[in-house]
Amino acid sequence: MTESTETRADRFYRAILRMLPFDFRSEFGPEMEDTFRSQRTGAEQESGWKALISIWWEGLLDIFRTAPREHLTVLAQDLRFALRMMRKNPGYALGAILILGLGIGANTSIFSVVNSVLLQPLPYAQGNRLVVLRQSAPKAGVDDLAFSVAEIDDFRRRNHTLSGLAEYHSMLFTLFGGSEARRVRTGVVSADFFPLLGVHPLLGRTFQPADDRPGAPAVLMLSYEFWKQSAGGDPHIVGHVYRMNDRPHTVIGVLPPFPQYPNENDVYMPTSDCPFRSSPGMISNRDARMMHVFGRLKQDETMGRCHSDMSAIATHLQHEYPKSYPPTVGYRADALSLRGELTSRARPLLILLLGAASFVLLIACANVANLILARMARREQELLVRTAIGAGAGRLLRQLLTESLLMALMAAGVGLLMAAGSLRVLTPFAAQLTPRAREIGLDGWVLGFAILCATITTVAFGSAAALFSRRELAAALKQSTMRDTGRRFARNVLIAAQVAFSCILLIGAGLMVHSFVRLSNVNPGFVPQRVVVAEFDLNWSRYSGHAQQALAFTDRLLARVRSQPGVLSAAVSSGFPLDPQASMGAPNDRFQVEGESRTATESAPVTDLRAATPDYFRTLGVPLLSGRVFADSDLAGSLPVAIVSSSLARRRWGQSDPLGRRVSFDSGKKWITVVGIAGDVKDSGLAQAAPDELYLPLTQSPAMGAVLVRTAGDPAITAAEVRRAVLALDPETAVPLVETLEQARQDNIASPRTTVRLVASFAALALLIAVAGIASMLVLWVKQRTREFGIRMAVGAKPRDIIGIVIREGMTLVVIGLIAGCAGAVALTRFLKALLFEVTPTDLPTYVAVCGLLLCAGLLACWIPSRRAALIDPQLALRCE
Amino acid sequence: MSDAPTPLTPAMFNVLLALADGEKHGYAILRGVSDQTNGEVRLGAGTLYAMIKRLLIEGLIVEVRNRPAADQDDPRRRYYRLTSAGRDAAMAEAARLEKVLSRARRAIRAFRTA
Repeated sequence: MTESTETRADRFYRAILRMLPFDFRSEFGPEMEDTFRSQRTGAEQESGWKALISIWWEGLLDIFRTAPREHLTVLAQDLRFALRMMRKNPGYALGAILILGLGIGANTSIFSVVNSVLLQPLPYAQGNRLVVLRQSAPKAGVDDLAFSVAEIDDFRRRNHTLSGLAEYHSMLFTLFGGSEARRVRTGVVSADFFPLLGVHPLLGRTFQPADDRPGAPAVLMLSYEFWKQSAGGDPHIVGHVYRMNDRPHTVIGVLPPFPQYPNENDVYMPTSDCPFRSSPGMISNRDARMMHVFGRLKQDETMGRCHSDMSAIATHLQHEYPKSYPPTVGYRADALSLRGELTSRARPLLILLLGAASFVLLIACANVANLILARMARREQELLVRTAIGAGAGRLLRQLLTESLLMALMAAGVGLLMAAGSLRVLTPFAAQLTPRAREIGLDGWVLGFAILCATITTVAFGSAAALFSRRELAAALKQSTMRDTGRRFARNVLIAAQVAFSCILLIGAGLMVHSFVRLSNVNPGFVPQRVVVAEFDLNWSRYSGHAQQALAFTDRLLARVRSQPGVLSAAVSSGFPLDPQASMGAPNDRFQVEGESRTATESAPVTDLRAATPDYFRTLGVPLLSGRVFADSDLAGSLPVAIVSSSLARRRWGQSDPLGRRVSFDSGKKWITVVGIAGDVKDSGLAQAAPDELYLPLTQSPAMGAVLVRTAGDPAITAAEVRRAVLALDPETAVPLVETLEQARQDNIASPRTTVRLVASFAALALLIAVAGIASMLVLWVKQRTREFGIRMAVGAKPRDIIGIVIREGMTLVVIGLIAGCAGAVALTRFLKALLFEVTPTDLPTYVAVCGLLLCAGLLACWIPSRRAALIDPQLALRCE
Repeated sequence: MSDAPTPLTPAMFNVLLALADGEKHGYAILRGVSDQTNGEVRLGAGTLYAMIKRLLIEGLIVEVRNRPAADQDDPRRRYYRLTSAGRDAAMAEAARLEKVLSRARRAIRAFRTA
């Protein structure tokens, strides 16, 4: 049969045969076509068209059945061959799998966090429909105004886009009924809060409307962590009675572990149980704002419409209550997605880390592609022989792809092991950024990601290298120098690319390290070393309204603490700098300066407030710049005095002397005289500017929250003594936190420290891979040029000259990579800007240091191969080939 | 069982039997199997050549190098014949089946008399 008589049926059958493996097709394809044609003709002649249809049907079915079986046979054969090749070349296989595994591991580790924190839906019922309402006054510089009871009622009644709306606020109370008094962070919520989130209790029940009525018996729900840690996971805890705010509180349920926003609470109570929230003054005052509001979008509503809905309500409120919403503050109301709010802090850091990790993977890929190219060169003989005995190009490609895939799966395994190991480091890190950290773990998505990463990288790079080699193979049959040039060019590009990627990553890491060094060297404005701080909460219901009793407690406490050996000075204050629990910052208030007039559109200045005993400044090591510190003679009835921070003094009084000037927090009813200026203190964080601060004597503004002790001895011993002293004076006092200020300072920069460590370790990994890549490339290059070096040495070249040639070859690529890398870094590091502290993305010292480091690393990588080249014996070299 | 390296599937056995009376090309083997079984066994081209590949690897058949005269030949056709191993395998399989059959006959007789 000839081409001219070929029918459409023949062509169709041939197309179907393409389902069979290439080898099978090339061996039996034409014969199968012939056989099937004969079958068709025979059937048609003997039994007509019905038999013809049946022959087609059976023939096609037969191919569909045979094809997968044959493919499996080929796969098994290729896998066996691939394993044999790996065993034959264990160094290559192990190197490639480890390098890729590390790259994939870095990515999988970060992806496991990204997956749980950013990608998975919230573990609430239809979490994507949950919103956070927010009132703000941007013109007064307030991002989150919180809500008052009256406003919550308004938004609840007037909105059209929410199917439910619940309120929330968090307070600290002291809980009695365990082994010692405990300060508990308490979420105060409306009865519909948990149903709104779709959180079901682990034990007992959640709040019901009856629990939230005034006068209802007080009830509590325990968070999962509190139940586990403080109640020992007691399965019969429901019905247990704790004492809180002088009332018995009955436990009605235990919550499951779930991400709590905006605070992690120990226990929850209904709004009617909170003495502040349920006070008549709070309920009737539209301006008494302290609550947060959550809502659930109706099924057919969108975020956009909800947002307009809230804005419309805000506009109406402005018209109805112009005094509460003066036009000068730019009052507005928004709806934000809860999901976005839960992860807003973590998102930029995680994206940065994923970016850094993907650079490691890119470098690993370039490295492995290089390894594959090098191995192709060594396997050229084998491939040539196989081509010569009739293996088609497709067949070889398939074999090489199978080898790549096998390697990919093994690398994915290494990567997953690394990811599983790194979770112990990453989970606490993420917990500093988002309440969703508890959800982090390896799941099907992470597994899929690792395998996908491995497959894409090895198949893409493996087959690119293989394809390249195939083209070279064709050239090999013609001329051998041409293929060497092509391959060397490809390998050189890959080496330069590795250097460039490492350079970008190292510069990114260098900037972050530099920024972190700046951050750790920030002068906090006080001397944190050897200062112990113990937070304490007096039993609020006993001391509230009895300031003299509380002050007497303070005096006794200070006397007791000062009598301890080694104590240099001690003070009691309302708070302390870098307090990890002061998530909302220090309390602040608006004030007016005597003799200063304001226009109607100007709002009153705000300052942070802190009450303290006289020794506060000495204990913390805050310098007094002028005037005096508080004295024992500053008593409740004497002249009200204050000390201002240097920044507050500058801002309010400029060049003139603030001493003797007066301020008021109650519209001039009481004037407070400034008697001293203290140095600025980084109160709310080392990265933040020092806030304006006004100190009041504790005797005139009794608000005690912490005792501070400077010791000459071991801070750990002092810490234990201080705790004992507090509890000995009043066992109903909660001591939630005892730590050194040095610890507080370290904790304050814990999150940037972990970020820096992660990025730096990625960069170090990248550098290591790149150096190994350069060295192995040069080793091979030297091997290929053994003969040439032999000749050069035979005609008088010194070993020094040979070393020079090799180093020039390697360093040219390093320098090209460096130039490309620096350009890339300039383009990319500007995305780091928000994460850098007092360092610009184009920080010259960092660029210089990184280039220096890479040049040294490059020289090191060139050294070993160049030594090897210099040791070539000319006699032996000339005899090779 | 037989000396053959692997047990024969019924289809393989049929192909070997079809080659019992001399060398044949693919389509002729298909016809042979169909004729020998009165049309009860009809192999598809895919199954046939997967089988041929296996029988070639196992050495039960070989491809015949000398081809028919040019006017009767199609260059796409390849001709196969049994090897002595193939013949042994087919005979061993036939003997095994015979044993099975006689056992079955005895059992049927026992059913009838029971």
